[in-house]
Amino acid sequence: MSARGRPRGLHLRHGCLSRQQQLRLLNHFISKAPQPTGQPIPSHFTLAVKDNIATTSALHPSPSSDPPPPALAAAAALPTTCASPFLSTYRSPFEATIVAQLRARGARLVGKTNLDEFGMGSHSTHSAFGAVSQQPSQPPQPQPSQPSQPESAASLLSSLLSAGGSSGGSAVAVAAGEADVALGTDTGGSVRLPAAYCGVVGFKPSYGMLSRFGVVPYANSLDTVGLLAGGVGRIRELIVGGGGGEEGGDNQGLWGEWDEKDPTSLSLSARRRCAREREGYYYPRLEQEREVGEVLRTVTFGIPLEYNIEELDPRIRDGWAKVAKTLQHEFGARVVPVSLPSTRHALSAYYVIAPAEASSNLAKYDGIRYGTRDTDSASDAAGGVLYAASRGRGFGDEVKRRILLGSYTLSSEAMDNYFIKAQRVRRLVRRDFDRVFALDNPLHEKETFDLADLDESIAMEDKWGPEEVDFLLCPTAPTLAPKLGDVMNQTPVDAYMNDVFTVPASLAGLPAISIPMPLSETAGDRTRRSDTAGLQLIGQYWDDARLLAVADAIFKTIETTTSTR
Amino acid sequence: MGRISTTELSRYLLTGQLSRRGCLHAQFPRISASAAFGSSPQRRHFASQVETTTPRPSNHATTVPTTPVTPLRKQLKEEAKALKASGKKKKKNADNQTVPGWELTVGIEIHAQLNTARKLFSPAATSFNDLPNSHVALFDLAMPGSQPLFQPETLIPAVRAALALGCAVQPVSRFDRKHYFHWDQPAGYQITQYYHPFARDGRVVLHARDGIAAEDGDRVEIGIRQVQMEQDTAKTTAQPGEVQWLDFNRVGLPLIEIITLPQIRHPATAAALVRKVQMLLGAVDACVLGMEAGGLRADVNVSVRRAEDVAAGKPLGTRTEIKNLSSFKAVEDAIIAERDRQIAVLEAGGVVEGETRGWSLGSTETRRLRGKEGEVDYRYMPDPDLGPVVIGEDLVSHLASSMGVLPDTEIDELVARYGLSSKDAMSLMMLDNGARIQYFYNVLDALEERLGLGGDTESDQRHALLAANWCLHELGKLTELSSDLGMTPDGECHVPSTDLAAILCHLHRKEVTAKVAKELLWSVFRGEVTTGGVTQAIEAGNLWFKELSEQEYAELADKVVDGEDKVVREFLRFKQGKLKAYPQGKLMFLVGKMMRAGPEERMDPASAERVMKDRMEGVYLPALDGNE
Repeated sequence: MSARGRPRGLHLRHGCLSRQQQLRLLNHFISKAPQPTGQPIPSHFTLAVKDNIATTSALHPSPSSDPPPPALAAAAALPTTCASPFLSTYRSPFEATIVAQLRARGARLVGKTNLDEFGMGSHSTHSAFGAVSQQPSQPPQPQPSQPSQPESAASLLSSLLSAGGSSGGSAVAVAAGEADVALGTDTGGSVRLPAAYCGVVGFKPSYGMLSRFGVVPYANSLDTVGLLAGGVGRIRELIVGGGGGEEGGDNQGLWGEWDEKDPTSLSLSARRRCAREREGYYYPRLEQEREVGEVLRTVTFGIPLEYNIEELDPRIRDGWAKVAKTLQHEFGARVVPVSLPSTRHALSAYYVIAPAEASSNLAKYDGIRYGTRDTDSASDAAGGVLYAASRGRGFGDEVKRRILLGSYTLSSEAMDNYFIKAQRVRRLVRRDFDRVFALDNPLHEKETFDLADLDESIAMEDKWGPEEVDFLLCPTAPTLAPKLGDVMNQTPVDAYMNDVFTVPASLAGLPAISIPMPLSETAGDRTRRSDTAGLQLIGQYWDDARLLAVADAIFKTIETTTSTR
Repeated sequence: MGRISTTELSRYLLTGQLSRRGCLHAQFPRISASAAFGSSPQRRHFASQVETTTPRPSNHATTVPTTPVTPLRKQLKEEAKALKASGKKKKKNADNQTVPGWELTVGIEIHAQLNTARKLFSPAATSFNDLPNSHVALFDLAMPGSQPLFQPETLIPAVRAALALGCAVQPVSRFDRKHYFHWDQPAGYQITQYYHPFARDGRVVLHARDGIAAEDGDRVEIGIRQVQMEQDTAKTTAQPGEVQWLDFNRVGLPLIEIITLPQIRHPATAAALVRKVQMLLGAVDACVLGMEAGGLRADVNVSVRRAEDVAAGKPLGTRTEIKNLSSFKAVEDAIIAERDRQIAVLEAGGVVEGETRGWSLGSTETRRLRGKEGEVDYRYMPDPDLGPVVIGEDLVSHLASSMGVLPDTEIDELVARYGLSSKDAMSLMMLDNGARIQYFYNVLDALEERLGLGGDTESDQRHALLAANWCLHELGKLTELSSDLGMTPDGECHVPSTDLAAILCHLHRKEVTAKVAKELLWSVFRGEVTTGGVTQAIEAGNLWFKELSEQEYAELADKVVDGEDKVVREFLRFKQGKLKAYPQGKLMFLVGKMMRAGPEERMDPASAERVMKDRMEGVYLPALDGNE
């Protein structure tokens, strides 16, 4: 496995790097919007958009005047490449709903960020535009006498750290301060994982909350639009809004906006019904003014025992335990162990369902309307294959691997053993969550659970069973950001392991957030820029508002308690 | 009563063909996607009207010519040529429905386009022969990031179709993706209903008049396994060289696929089933029809087994599928050819392979397209973007109650209640695109009002039969001189129904003679009698029927019989038992003479007949008897 295509970010031309050059080295943008010229356009925040989300004009719409002339808009339009050779020149004729929603809230588009092709990957290395990397804290200084040697590029590559994937470019753009907010997509952890690796906040909302219209699908039943930012506050403001509880108030949160163009977008009535059973959607302004301690005091956190796996980096395990202890002892939160027995099957189920849907979604890329037709190969003679050569040439290895996987699991002989079984596992995973959360899942009938199914180590609160929790507290990934060199030598299955903690929430459609978690020691790894890992919070369906409030409180807690670092 | 949709029925009855136009398509202008960009609502409306009537000039440098359609004549010519080339004289299909010692089993899949204004998963307008690629939404082209939006209005014709086919509409159905690569399918998959179709367990009843094989008797019932909704593909038009033109107006149009049980035993019955399904779909206005125009396509599954295997209860033979049959004749011919091929293979000791075969119009043999090893694995997968379709019982019952009467029921009713012949009933229904039967109902209503009859409750329906005969035959004579009746869809024409009712009322009451009535009809048709002026015209022309007295009839009869002893002797022979049948012909000969001898305008042939018969019995025969 290698970084395919043109690894243009990996060639060093000069020994001494300016900050601009350093940033370019990271290869996190596929295209950049022109800097605003003339009079500064009022804008509340800068926005980077993952390049599998459709954008049209990068021009900022000014509400007072007419839209820009089409020619001007077309010139400013940014391509939507999905980091795939098939779409390397594709410009979408329409804009994703989420981009329009954020622009209406004052976002200025700064560029389209690099990713794993069609969102398939965990390190943003499977891109037609080359691998993404994150900035090392002390970039290795190449010798001035050896400029631009292939060896030095290769050694640099291997020393760089993975930005995580597939929204790696978005996470790096936020970490580098080039965007206040970045859009990503989270199918099995693609926003949370790069956030954890890059030391930023990554939020995956409840499935159906943010419109997917204009998001090029990878696995529709799992895909969500995710937000990345330096802190929780900005994301919370966008999702929950600050309208003081009145619908259509001065700052309507994204949670309340239904998109008729997305058939999986929750209807307005369903949104309101779900929100009424939750805290924090109405009167969010009051909520935001509460003290950190006040927020945390009433919350019960669950520590999922199944997440304490053998492969978990001990530094992460220590950090996780430390946060739990702090929450319990310094802020009076309850922290209890919980069991999610289906977790160990979740990853396998994910890697059956997601490739199956991907193999279907990517059938449209055939070299005729998108990409380059392979005209050298045999054409569509009777019994021959029309598209095979074009598709074989046009897709990257990881995408091809998943298409083959998905095509197989959907084939008539394998369907029952793989796809159907994976869907059953998916249901079990969701039931696991429903059982441990104090809140009910508003999308499903309430179920009763058998205590006999529980792990013996779980303490019973009373004869009815163990204590129910508000949020699950766990790491985002089992390891710190690996070196790109190591990533390149991994087997695909090793790479899939990174998603083990993020996939369960995706399968169940639950909201989850990754916030930076400080580590007590970094074991003298001098190339590591970030000494943080990701701490993940998972909430019950549509509990996004409270999840963000609690995550915000924990984020501030960590900031203050570790301000010395 | 429900109206049969238009030309479909007539062509179905006459030639077994149906044109694609009809139903809603002919009646409502479509609003095109491009027209929707108009600046004002009025302009938009105007634009859409213009579009439907005149071809718009193309803005593009490359103008798109109208789609070439293979003319039927050319098709027939090729058919004849192919037949000649084969050197075989074809056996007539009617004599070729069975092969002794073998049983044929056929199941059919029929695809028909639903009659809706919008596509199945996008709000783009449905169209036919509009400017190519002018009604295309983002999703129709599978643009990256676009999503399907199920159009609930497509359920209305779909559910009606299911009800017309006697199916149980399922409360919950789902959409699945069927994957295969073809240029006419932008997404690389077709959205269909594989695991959970919206309708199941229907049946279609075929009568002898539907053209089933004589071996099936008067009536045969074919089960429908399921009906599913699915997307159509783009239309491909081959151009010279290796160039194909694609029209994405058709992509995403809503189709239903109707799958029968393997219960068909004869080729003609298979064709009759397809025809009948088409008529039923047209009758409830569910589908855009026209098999020949590609609005309806059929795939047939054919297998054979030996008669002794049937008796032994052995399973069906291996089946082959013949795809894309586009005419009723092709259905029947292809089944006959495939049956004969399979029997030949088996009789030679071979094995029939499960495979897909093709058929071209006019050929005598099916041809192998691909074997089992070449079959595409469609990798059916539930569409993750589309939720289940929930159809409420209230919708189903409303559609069932508002569907109108199906053609079979209506024909049966015309025959049973009014005593029409089956042929006349079907003719009445097919004429003037279904408006003639409406005209008949209008005339009947007006006539019953004049006669003061309660309509349905009356046991004597002779007036209705009279009205039916006039609406069919006498009205038909008016158009023999190539003039037009000017029939409107709601059943009015140049002869107002009330005026015909007035004429028939007087005729029924014997206040005018049939001859006068016919002349009146012409006068009304020519406009010589103003609307509502029938009675006045009779009065003015002194056309009232002043019938001869019994005495006058008797005198006339005596006069006519004089010198006809030879004829009268025939009646005597009957009376004496020497002749088996009553000489009705002779009687009518004498009545005819009476009519000619007397003042015709004052005579009723029925009265003349009665008097003649009475006098024959009471006067002439005794006289003749006495003489001999």
